[in-house]
Formats: sequence, C-alpha cells, structure tokens
Amino acid sequence: MRMSLRNKYVRILSAIAPPGAAGIALLLGSTMPSAAIRHSTSTEPLAADQSSVSERLAAIREAVLDVAKAETDVGRSKDGELRLAWGNWWRNWGGRPRGWGWPNWNNWRNWHPWNNWWRNW
Amino acid sequence: MAKLVGRPIGSRRGRDVPRIELLVVQPTPFCNIDCRYCYLPDRSSKAVVSRQTLHNLFSQVFASGWVGECLSVVWHAGEPTVLPIEFYREAFRMVDRLKPAELAVSHSFQTNGTLIDEAWCTFFREERLGVGVSIDGPKQFHDRRRLTRSGHGTFDRTIAGIRLLRRHGVPFHVISVLSAASMAVPREMFDFYVEEGIEQVCFNVEESEGDHVSESFQESGIESAYYRFLSEFWRLSAAAPGHITFIREIEHAIAQVIRPADAPFRNQLVEPFAVTSMDWAGNISTFSPELLGLKNPVYEDFILGNINRDALIDLPSRPNFIRMLADIEAGVEMCRERCQYFSVCGGGEPVNKLAENSSFASSETTYCRLIKMRGTDLVLDALERVQSRGAVGKGAVCAEVYE
Repeated sequence: MRMSLRNKYVRILSAIAPPGAAGIALLLGSTMPSAAIRHSTSTEPLAADQSSVSERLAAIREAVLDVAKAETDVGRSKDGELRLAWGNWWRNWGGRPRGWGWPNWNNWRNWHPWNNWWRNW
Repeated sequence: MAKLVGRPIGSRRGRDVPRIELLVVQPTPFCNIDCRYCYLPDRSSKAVVSRQTLHNLFSQVFASGWVGECLSVVWHAGEPTVLPIEFYREAFRMVDRLKPAELAVSHSFQTNGTLIDEAWCTFFREERLGVGVSIDGPKQFHDRRRLTRSGHGTFDRTIAGIRLLRRHGVPFHVISVLSAASMAVPREMFDFYVEEGIEQVCFNVEESEGDHVSESFQESGIESAYYRFLSEFWRLSAAAPGHITFIREIEHAIAQVIRPADAPFRNQLVEPFAVTSMDWAGNISTFSPELLGLKNPVYEDFILGNINRDALIDLPSRPNFIRMLADIEAGVEMCRERCQYFSVCGGGEPVNKLAENSSFASSETTYCRLIKMRGTDLVLDALERVQSRGAVGKGAVCAEVYE
C-alpha cells in the first residue's frame, strides 16, 4: 500500500516538474474546479484516496526525494551538470525571498516575513 | 531548568539554546482605530516605549548568543505609524550600532494603513522596510469590523494608504481577515485585489483570542466555506496569471506538503524564544505573540520578566516559563499522537489552544481545522486532480497549463 502510494505520487510529481514556486502554485491552482462546477457536485474536499492523510503526506515526501534523485541521475547523464529540479525547487523555494516561511512553516499569522524582499522587488 | 530545545518536528534531537528568529516589538499599545475583533486589551493607552527599554532589549538580545545569522524585527503595536517617523529612524540607528557586524537585521511594519502619507512612503523606501497592511477586502466587508473610535468605517483611509504605497513603489502585502460574508464571495474579493493592484495576499479568519470570541468560528459550515473560498480564489488567480502573485495560505501549504522527506521542519510557535515579544514597558513573552497582553485564570499572565530589570538569558528558568513550556510540549505530543496533519503543522498555535480549549496541553482547534487542515486538503486534492486528468507523462501538466 505504502509503496503504491509513493509510486502514485512519483508519477504525479514527475508530471508537474516544477517551473518555480509561483509556477507550481499556478499549475496546481489551474486544477481547481470552478465554483459553478463545484456547486453542482460536492463542496467537500476530495476523498479520492482511501489512504489516511498522514500516509499520503508521508508518501509525497518520499516521492519528492525519489523524483529529485531520478532527475539528478538524468541531469548528470545528459550534460554532466547537476540539475535537481525538485530538490532545488524546495530548498530555494523557487527564488522566494528568504524567510517566506522557510524553514519554520508555522509562522505567526499576524505578520509576514519580508526578509530580503526589496532585493527581489 | 526545563529543556530549552527547538526540536525539528519528527526528531527528538535539538539545539541546546534558544534561537530568536522573530522579535515582535510593541512601540506603543495605542491604536488610532478600534476594530471589533481586536485582541489587544490596552489599545487606548498612549504609552510609548522608552529609548532605554529598546536599548536594553537589543543589547541583551545581541549579547545572549540566541541569535543566528539573521533576525527579523516586526514593529507591531497598537498601530506603529501613530509614532513619528523620527522615532523609528533613531531606533533603527540604535539597532545598527548595537548589532554584531555579521548579523542581518530586517525590520517590518504591520499597519492599518490609515496614517500612511508621502513621508511614510519615503521612509519605507529609504529603510527598505517590509510593509503589511490590514484590509479586509472591499469597503462593505472592511467597514463592518475595522472602525474608528467614533464607529465610522476606515476603508477610505486604508485604501488611500495602499494607493500611496503603490504610487511610491513600496512593496507591500495585505492581511485580510475573512468573515462568513467575504468568504461567500471569492470572485468579488479577487476582483477587488486585482483592481487595487494588490499582488500579495494573506488570509486570516476572525479567531477567538483573549477576550474576543469569534463570530466566524461559531458559524456552521465555516470549514467548508473556507475551503471553497480558497479553492475558488486560487483557481481565479491561476486563470489570470500576473495579478495575484502570492497567496500565503496556498504557498505555505504547497511548501509544507511537497517537501523532501529529509527536509527540516519546525514549528516556530512552540519553540521557546524563536518568537520573542516585548511590550512598550519592556515585558517579555514568547511562543504566540498574542500571549503578551493576555490574562488567564490558570497562568495569571504570560510575562516572563522585564527587560529593564531582568536578564534575558535568565528567563528560561522562571517557574511560569517552565510551566508554559511543559504544557505546550504536552500539547504538541497530543498533536503528534492524534493528528493526521501533524507532519505539516508541528503542534499548532498555543494561543488558539488556550482560547478554544482552555489549555496549552490540548490538541485540535478550529484554527487548526481551518488554516492547517483545509489548506493541506486543497493541495492534496489538487494533486489528485493532476492524476485524474490522466496527464502523468513528464511535463504534461506544465505544457497544458502554459499553452
């Protein structure tokens, strides 16, 4: 079960090779059903997978590692340079200014980190 | 002494000393407006922090050995712009003089925007400050809760401030508190931000904190409403690229869910002194900044000491800190054992646990269900939809989106 779930997310993540932090938000956002369509069906979160949320989250994290490793191997064999799309995407978080929640995700909600933002403006 | 450990989530190993990452400084408790959902008890007081208190704070913080390579300082009152610009110029120069040469200190403001004028814009640009403006969407939503002391809406003054920031090229984000009414109209909210050139948005939901009891939290169906709002807002943003470039709740959820298994993950809000707060009088607290002004029948208050009388590095040995830490850690363990979403949260928000469950040593809250769980669900559902489209060949979805 765990392995098939992990493989499922490897396939999904491979299909959405990260075009940058803004890009992946755009990409995933484009999958949201419109309000009109949603109102005609269910308004609740999808329950497409019978696995628990914690299992799915763990499988995604393992899949990110798998995809990053596979891309490293492919990148090296093609041009000798390290091209670690998923790994770099997360670690740099797509060029977002440092402090946008990394690595402490549960930031205080009545504030918003602005470190180095001016350099990127 | 209690363990002073900022432990990475999922790991029992940790650091030996605290690490201050965010310093929340209240220059004055005074606010020029009187929002109905405000949790600050002393917002009519016109007291102002003294230079000596600021000097004591920063000199102790820098000497503590608790700061890493960078430190964020947020001036979060009251309303920080009720004080003169010169106050901040002097404060920033003081910080520059006191700080170690290698330490990067960044300052930011969270403001209601009503007092922003040309001079403030010039100051923000010169000092390269991060600016967050609180605006709750279009006038009809904003003016329901964000009122002057005489009961009038503040929208016109806030939007005037935002327009000035844009005219002066000052980068800013907005924080909008959602109500049941504004959650019901994501298209209207989206159009408002686009029309006003607001690109970076953060959404809060009116919460129960301190003496304030949230009306929104008591609404039935609030979780579904929040999920639907974020889903539609995200879809609209993706369908019109280039307008809304950052939705905090979405960006954070994506980065929390889609991360490598070996990535570090911590919850700043349950780590001692990772977020350190000081009020105008020099009183120090930690964990959730909202705790600084709160009273509680069990804990009395959450003040660990005063920077004008006490040594910062002695505060971890205070009995009230030890008690808070023990209860907060017990609550985190409950979350770890019980919550499916623990790996993307790390134990929730202490102030919400206290307000909703009457104890730090507790787990799930409405805040958790809304912000953490439904945000995570959105990303999980988006990934399911990628699969259901059948577009699982490499790059297939990218090509589809960018065509």
